[in-house]
Amino acid sequence: MKLKKITAAVGLIVGCAALAHSAELHVTVKDQKGKNVEDAVVLAVAADPRNAQRSKPPLGAVDQVDKQFVPYVKPIFVGSTVRFPNSDNIRHQVYSFSPAKKFELPLYAGTNAPPVIFDKPGVVVLGCNIHDWMVGYIYVAETPFFAKTGPLGTASISDLPPGEYRVRIWHPNMDRAEETTNRRIMVGAEPVAAAEWQIDLKASIRVPRVSGAASPSYP
Amino acid sequence: MPILHNLAMRPIRAWLPALVFCAAIHTARGDWILSTSAALNHDNNLGNAQNAASVVADSRAQANGSVLQQILWDDGLSLSAGGDLSGELYDHFSALNNASIEGSLSLKKKWGLGAFAPWIRAGIAVGRVEYDDRYRDATLYSASLEAGQRLDERWDLWAKYAFDSRRAAPAESDLYGVPSDVFSQRGQSFKVGVQYSSSERMRLTLGSLVRHGDVISTTQPSAGIFAYSKAVAPDPTFGPDAYAYRLVGTTFGARLGLEYSLTTHSLIGLGFQRLDTHARGGINYGDSMPELTWNYQF
Repeated sequence: MKLKKITAAVGLIVGCAALAHSAELHVTVKDQKGKNVEDAVVLAVAADPRNAQRSKPPLGAVDQVDKQFVPYVKPIFVGSTVRFPNSDNIRHQVYSFSPAKKFELPLYAGTNAPPVIFDKPGVVVLGCNIHDWMVGYIYVAETPFFAKTGPLGTASISDLPPGEYRVRIWHPNMDRAEETTNRRIMVGAEPVAAAEWQIDLKASIRVPRVSGAASPSYP
Repeated sequence: MPILHNLAMRPIRAWLPALVFCAAIHTARGDWILSTSAALNHDNNLGNAQNAASVVADSRAQANGSVLQQILWDDGLSLSAGGDLSGELYDHFSALNNASIEGSLSLKKKWGLGAFAPWIRAGIAVGRVEYDDRYRDATLYSASLEAGQRLDERWDLWAKYAFDSRRAAPAESDLYGVPSDVFSQRGQSFKVGVQYSSSERMRLTLGSLVRHGDVISTTQPSAGIFAYSKAVAPDPTFGPDAYAYRLVGTTFGARLGLEYSLTTHSLIGLGFQRLDTHARGGINYGDSMPELTWNYQF
């Protein structure tokens, strides 16, 4: 019993010490017109693989609210499990054709759909077979260090062990491959490292939600 | 207002079976789909007259509410049952103000998963329309077969074949020996449509139509049109000397529409429709209709 307490205390001290030396990366993403870009995923890949070690990935969720996926973009660490609760009072049939994860959840309501494990890195495009306009993205990251930009176009990755990182950006409407955004950034000299990206976005075209009188594909 | 009376009272017999039908469908565990729409348009040949002296134009406001109960299966099959309630108000020809109720049942099959899977739908509908002038009142029947496919996020294509029938009581007529059920019509139509999304909010729709069957032309009395008519009756809504003639004709139509999404639930649109009808005996007439539309889907 005493030994356990000592081990826990040592672990806590070591953890705190590591955190004390960890840093934060603050990223701003703008588009070609200088506008803040929301829903961009920022990924930091440690040059030293020892810095990439992390505990078991947490359980994530992508909800369905008002016949839309919420959130629109969900970054997760590879190996994570994601639930797909349905907060609408109608049924949805969620699927993906993406090579990173092909799956289909048969028609369901409520929260009883089985969770899905995302075990391969890459972009997973979500759709609903009933409501064609519903689209969402799960970015399965190969690194545990990632964040998503908010309405101000900013995101912060905290608890980064000091060292060198390759940092890149991904967005659903990005005009170029995400590898073209790669940069090497040293983290740890200062408590907070900051960087700004400008990415080219193409016009977003999605399947229309409301049918006019002349377009009969829904329902 | 007469139209409100129409809406609430006269079709009451049609309401009851519709409600019972919806209740029965609801017990089968379906999803509700509610939508509403409105339009303002101008018809430059309201009576479908050939003779320029008989051509009259008017503007009208239209409103529609629709409720559907959709039962879904995992293999892409869905059954929809529901009803529409519609009304039209005319600016000058108030005798044409009308209210209608319609019940519909359709079965849709989608081949495969996703937004780009092709689909086909067969449907039937029964309705009742009642006008302020009363003698146009009719029971409506239709059956249709539709198919479509979205090619990508920008392009959507569809086609529809429909049979339509409209049964009205024979009108009072002073022409003895001449059929007077002029407002009863039957026809078959084929429509194709294509929609192009130029941006996330803006869409352009082009549709074309061919319809063959009964058409009604209201004009001043004429021996030429009389000889080719299947039925004739006075049509006092268009004036004391106006007669409605039921002819067999083919209508060619085209509609161009531009729609803009105001919100994720609603859109407004501008449209222009042109119809040209060629009836037996060289009775030809045209009809143009610009319109402003609004749709809301819950």
